[in-house]
Amino acid sequence: MTRPYVPWFLLAIALTLAAVYLFPLYWMYVTSLKSGSEIFANPPTFWPVEPDLSIYPSVWFRRTMQTFMWNSVLIASGVTAITVLLGTGCAYVLARYRSGWIDFGLFMILMLQVLPASVMITPLFVGFNQLGLLNYPRTAVVLAAAAKAMPFFVVLVRATFMSVPRELEEAALVDGNSRIGAFFNIVLPLARNGILVCAILTFMSSFGEYIYSKSIIQNGAMQPASVGLSGFLGPNSSDWNSIMAYSAIYVTPILAVFVLLQRRIVSGLTSGALK
Amino acid sequence: MARFFNSMRDGIGFDLILVGAAMVFLLALAGLPLVYNILMSFQQVDMFTLGDLFRPLAGLTNYVAVVNAPEFWLVTKNTLIFVFTSMAGQFVLGFSLALFFAQNFPGAATIRGLFLVSWVMPGLVVGAIWSWILAGDFGVLNTILKAMGIIEAPIFWKSDPNFSIWAVVIANIWLGLAFNMLLLSVGLAAIPRDLYEAAELDGANAFQRFWTITLPMMRSTIGAVLSLGLIGTLQQFDLFPALTEGGPANTSNVAGYWAWQMSFKLYDFAKGATISVMMFVLVLIASVVYVRSTRHEVRG
Amino acid sequence: MSAQIELSNIDKHYGAFHALKDVSLSIEKGSFVALVGPSGCGKSTLLRSIAGLETITSGTLKIAGQTMNGVPPRKRDVAMVFQSYALYPHMTVEENLTYSLRLHGVGKAEAKVKAAEVAATTGLSALLKRYPRELSGGQRQRVAMGRAIIRNPKAFLFDEPLSNLDAALRVHMRKEIRALHDRLGATSVYVTHDQIEAMTMADHVVVMRDGVIEQQGSPLELYDRPVSKFVAGFIGSPAMNFVPGTIGPDGMTVALEIAQSLSLPLARHQEPGRKVLVGLRPEHLVIGEPEQATLRLPVAVVESTGSMTFVTTSTEPEMTVVETRRTTVRPGDTIGVSIAPNQVHLFDPATEKAI
Ligand SMILES: Nc1ncnc2c1ncn2[C@@H]1O[C@H](COP(=O)(O)OP(=O)(O)O)[C@@H](O)[C@H]1O
Ligand SMILES: [Mg+2]
Repeated sequence: MTRPYVPWFLLAIALTLAAVYLFPLYWMYVTSLKSGSEIFANPPTFWPVEPDLSIYPSVWFRRTMQTFMWNSVLIASGVTAITVLLGTGCAYVLARYRSGWIDFGLFMILMLQVLPASVMITPLFVGFNQLGLLNYPRTAVVLAAAAKAMPFFVVLVRATFMSVPRELEEAALVDGNSRIGAFFNIVLPLARNGILVCAILTFMSSFGEYIYSKSIIQNGAMQPASVGLSGFLGPNSSDWNSIMAYSAIYVTPILAVFVLLQRRIVSGLTSGALK
Repeated sequence: MARFFNSMRDGIGFDLILVGAAMVFLLALAGLPLVYNILMSFQQVDMFTLGDLFRPLAGLTNYVAVVNAPEFWLVTKNTLIFVFTSMAGQFVLGFSLALFFAQNFPGAATIRGLFLVSWVMPGLVVGAIWSWILAGDFGVLNTILKAMGIIEAPIFWKSDPNFSIWAVVIANIWLGLAFNMLLLSVGLAAIPRDLYEAAELDGANAFQRFWTITLPMMRSTIGAVLSLGLIGTLQQFDLFPALTEGGPANTSNVAGYWAWQMSFKLYDFAKGATISVMMFVLVLIASVVYVRSTRHEVRG
Repeated sequence: MSAQIELSNIDKHYGAFHALKDVSLSIEKGSFVALVGPSGCGKSTLLRSIAGLETITSGTLKIAGQTMNGVPPRKRDVAMVFQSYALYPHMTVEENLTYSLRLHGVGKAEAKVKAAEVAATTGLSALLKRYPRELSGGQRQRVAMGRAIIRNPKAFLFDEPLSNLDAALRVHMRKEIRALHDRLGATSVYVTHDQIEAMTMADHVVVMRDGVIEQQGSPLELYDRPVSKFVAGFIGSPAMNFVPGTIGPDGMTVALEIAQSLSLPLARHQEPGRKVLVGLRPEHLVIGEPEQATLRLPVAVVESTGSMTFVTTSTEPEMTVVETRRTTVRPGDTIGVSIAPNQVHLFDPATEKAI
């Protein structure tokens, strides 16, 4: 008798857990809709008394978010392009062969995956300075961030390539393809979805890139949205509804993409992340 | 030349080019800087020598200066607290959630997937949101804790030296929890169901089944998750500028942020490089553990 | 007749592992050659070397008179059917069939016509627009076949193409593949670990063991005159019985250790007193009256399939006897068994080579 009820009971708990966990997101949106005085109400209101959307355009213009967001898109696109172009081929080769050299290459890549950006930024900054790359700060950030993003991309995409049967490629070779032809006609189309998911993940993570941009880009007109946000964020900030509105504008596109592609992203991660 | 092109179309040359391009890129932008970093930690670097490659050698003076810095031990202690409590929190909560979502109920996978939004959000935004939630006077966490009767007076999470490091830890646990849960879920799903059924027939209760089947079967997953957690936590940077900026008085400062402050706030690049090298050694240990725990999967 | 595929002294190393050892083999144009041997003996490696999917370490490989060492697969003009079929999952059956034609510059319309022809021969006409995932195992197998025959290549290479099918379909496809081969006048190299497949399908069987060709010849040659205990045990089902024995003083009989008192007549004179391993095929042992027979053996197990009865003896080592007539033998009985002199195989116990 009780059996049919058990799943609904669990579902209720699950929804509660999700609500608790996602409360910070809710709080971001709710705060952004509150007036300047309501945010300091005690006790705080869990739903704005007078939801006010006008803060969004006002923050957008006051904080020159158009420039910031555009720079974020530029940087994320550059990072994704480099990562996909260089990383896909590398992942393919690492998936295709088994040998001591491949193990060594994989080991190197895993090692690079673990390097904290805060370890890399000092030598990168000094090195870029010597090469004159600091005069092209966005390019410098793209290069640095692509090197940071690539190992993770390679590890995940390699798992995708491993799931493409080797024999398909061999059949294509016997059927009359060159290695290049088999790669582009058979292997790539079959790995396309996995690569796409990883490219989107790369884009999303470099869209939020902060440390390299903050350290390398001095010119406000070239900084991405993360640096723009840090401009009015600190231990003593108080302009919370603006900060939350800025944050909401910044992350909503990412969240939308994530919720839309949730299934694919999760399955892409689960098949690759542990391999 | 013709042979070269043939090998590119049909032979090993194709593979070498594909893997070579990425490797050269990574070596130039990750391998070289790493070596350069070590070099700089033994040099005197200031604003005048910033553009030179060969600078006056400093021997071990940078290291001595870093270790003798008044905040060195505080930062070390904070780094350890930050790393281990973050990892423990992420792991324990992540594992509990993974076990919960391994139950069979409608929507389990979808709801579990939603948790992962924390992982795709920019660290700085997560920091900003938690900075507001943890605010002393008007933060919602204090309100909730007070309403539940857990605290009497508001806690000034970010500015009280006793709590500042915990402010960052809380935000970091929230940030990394979902990824831990996801990986552990994968490990749980890989345990064959009939093992549990066999154990149940043998008379094992739920706790015994967890202890004798789940945990042993999850050994390699747990190893990978813990070392990834360690690596991820050592990489965490964005939360610090957003929440406490390492303050007050370095009570929430950790090695990564301290190294950055040295280079980019105090323009003492040599000391920044020195702290980075010391931190790199720590990361190296973590990554050896990580690679070893994924080794059997690498081999396939 | 000329050799379509000619392998001379082929060696293949995988790092330290020596997978093919000095393999020489000549495959006539129009012949059906089976490579057979236990798993891991190097059959696939040899086949893939012919296709160009593996690079041989040394030796020469010729297809239709041209040296093919180092030539990429696409220039060898061979077709291959894989064990997993390797159908392109993102292409329809028709696209799978015509893929190689399109790569060789055949026009769309012509390729379509060809595909229709091949589909008719392989019974796929109704399935041309489907994707591989929408096909049954047998249908996928046919697509894999069709993809090979559409090209009219210099040779067909099969790597255990039937091992993913159920038993009944396997028997059926065996005949169909052979019929197709004859109709196309093709040259085929067929890898299998199943000796029955090899024996029933091939003109020429090559038995491999640990990267070496142990013996090659027509199916009956291998059955009648195995050169070693390995081949003798591998070819024929149920497997040959091996029992230790000693050549009699006259050199024309052999005494078995399991039945001291009696001995078997031999077809040729052997060195008297020599220790040998005697090979007796279960189907050559004839059950008769215990008094007239040459061997008397105690029975342990009797299994009947209806058409045949398998009698296992309680000797050490045990022996199997196949009887096609109805029999009343029961466990515990003693049966008399006789065998024709020319059906007794002798092997050296040390080298395991035929004597
Ligand atoms: N790529 C490879 N690297 C190392 N050893 C291999 C490789 N491919 C096959 N081998 C080894 O070569 C031997 C022959 O393999 P194979 O030709 O596939 O045997 P089979 O006769 O079963 O088809 C096996 O022992 C196998 O382990
Ligand atoms: Mg094989």
